[in-house]
Amino acid sequence: MKKTDPLLALTTAALSLPVFAGTPPTEKEISLRASSYEEDDISKTSVLSGSPERYKIDKTHFRLLTPLGSDWSTEINTSQEVMSGASPWGTFSGSDEQPSLIMSGATIRDKRTEVAVSITNYQDDASYGVTLGTSREDDYKSRSISLSAGWDLNNMSTLGIGFSFSDDDIEPTDAEKFGRIQQAKKQTRSFSVSWTQIINANSLLFSGLTYTNKEGFLSDPYKLRDTRPDKKTEWAASLKYRIFIDSKNAALHLNYRLYNDGFGINSHTVNAEWHQNISSRWKISPRIRYYSQSQADFYLDADDFSLPKTVNQSSDHRLSGYGAITVGIQMNYDLSGWKIKIGFDRYISDNRYGHDSSRHSHPALLDFNLTSLGIEYKF
Amino acid sequence: MKLKIHRFTAMGCPCELRFYGKKEIEIENAFSECVARTKEFEHKYSRYLDDSVTTTINRSAGKNRTTIDQETFALLDYAQVCFELSNGFFDITSGTLRQCWNSQITELPSQIQIENCRSRIGWEKVTYSQTEIFLPVKGMELDFGGIVKEYAADALVASARENGVEFGLINLGGDIAMVGPQADGSPWNIGIVHPAIKGATIATIELGSGALTTSGGYERFIEIDGQRYSHLLNPKTGFPMDSMLSATVIADQAVVAGSITSIALLNNEKEGLRWLENSKLPYLAITKNLDCLGTLARTD
Repeated sequence: MKKTDPLLALTTAALSLPVFAGTPPTEKEISLRASSYEEDDISKTSVLSGSPERYKIDKTHFRLLTPLGSDWSTEINTSQEVMSGASPWGTFSGSDEQPSLIMSGATIRDKRTEVAVSITNYQDDASYGVTLGTSREDDYKSRSISLSAGWDLNNMSTLGIGFSFSDDDIEPTDAEKFGRIQQAKKQTRSFSVSWTQIINANSLLFSGLTYTNKEGFLSDPYKLRDTRPDKKTEWAASLKYRIFIDSKNAALHLNYRLYNDGFGINSHTVNAEWHQNISSRWKISPRIRYYSQSQADFYLDADDFSLPKTVNQSSDHRLSGYGAITVGIQMNYDLSGWKIKIGFDRYISDNRYGHDSSRHSHPALLDFNLTSLGIEYKF
Repeated sequence: MKLKIHRFTAMGCPCELRFYGKKEIEIENAFSECVARTKEFEHKYSRYLDDSVTTTINRSAGKNRTTIDQETFALLDYAQVCFELSNGFFDITSGTLRQCWNSQITELPSQIQIENCRSRIGWEKVTYSQTEIFLPVKGMELDFGGIVKEYAADALVASARENGVEFGLINLGGDIAMVGPQADGSPWNIGIVHPAIKGATIATIELGSGALTTSGGYERFIEIDGQRYSHLLNPKTGFPMDSMLSATVIADQAVVAGSITSIALLNNEKEGLRWLENSKLPYLAITKNLDCLGTLARTD
């Protein structure tokens, strides 16, 4: 007998038989999801002025996937977010060197509407897709296009490439009143390549590399002092491993992402999900995620009012060095065509959790809860 | 949930569908769809039907090329892998040996008869592409019998699911593929035929997903002068195999399980056992001494 793994060889060959081969969707799928994102209030002692109440976002998302003939499918995604809360304007160094915040006083209210339409064409060993998207809120408009292609190589590997472009307009509210920039533009181009390898009937490995180039107004117009370079390159590499464990009737997903950008931020993201089938209808999936980033080159613990505004500077907590942990759980229930999903995640962040954190924990670093409920129907 | 059973004959075998469903009409629709699908496969790949793909290819042997569709190409490719993995023992051109070995013969075929058959065997001589196949020797024949029944069982799983069946099993002449477990989530009990005692089972295997197939030389055999000869023929010698009595395997796809068990029976007992062990799949082997071996063998 040959030394080749017979099961692997036969399974590979079997998977090219038409019954098993990847085919375009034959069912329509419709889904509706509602989620509530709620940031914890900031401790009152860290707020010099303004409201300690932070963001609350209610989001509804609608998705429709439908086949068009035998080789095409189309997908429509729309979502609406209603945001309210206060956001940090600036960071000051207090008497004890601990930074404190100036928050926006009034509660900001905004609404964001997003629509994306995709069309995918399926060939025997390849698929090609185009997505057009637009997103609108009072102070931000974005239009985007993305192209993707995937090739099935010897049924065990898939090569994917993608390109996306977005053109954004920024028009901050109350620009004149607060001396903010009145109008600005931003363009983003992103290229990605990925390789998915089926290792055996139960496991696969995905690896991907994404390069993104951003140009234009990359600062936060609502902060008192925030000047960032007008160009930024980003690299992200990711590895995803999926394995189904027969003896446990469960799947383990492990993901890692390494990120580096021209602002000087390096980050690592590790997450693990365990998808346990309880019965043919119930599935429970606990998950844990760890994130850690270093601070941007021009990050300041507190705003420095002696620094000219032309010099790159920002005290945005998102540019500080910190770490974050998310713990969550999702329950799925299947009932002949219907699928119900309920999820809850708790996110906490602090400079103590990071691998290369800033000296002080930024008082605006977030803790939040995310609750979601989704219903899916296939027909 | 109601359980309904439908029995029919196709591909020369008794077939059985066991589906659970809420409404009788839904189950009946799924039955109809599955039977139609089975008949389609039978019609397409039968050696006995005049207008089947197999007959068309065989009739053109030694003469001209035959145009094939994508499904046939994929099956040929699958047969190629089986041929390579089995070192040539699994050969879909070996069916002509049945002209020497069949239930009508009363004495052993002569060496000349066997050589005559063997000259028309040899998958390595066949040339095929995505669109065409050519059998180079007149009288050469393809037989998809060792693949299509299992493949059809897998196809019926897909058909049943498309028709809303979540719980059920498909049994095409012993090639068993799961649509899903029983309605309460419990596995199905599958009896493995006793190779020596007619009508008895030698083991029971629980299965809720995937597929199970059994190959055995015992189901059909030729008796000459009190000596039993298996219907499984060695394409290299032209003689019946002296293999284990039966092999049962569980895999995700019936077509894969079927190839593993077929190849196990196309080897002598020792090689066959080693092959099953190497497949890393759950298996039950019944040796010539009626010993039950393998991960599915239970001592009780």
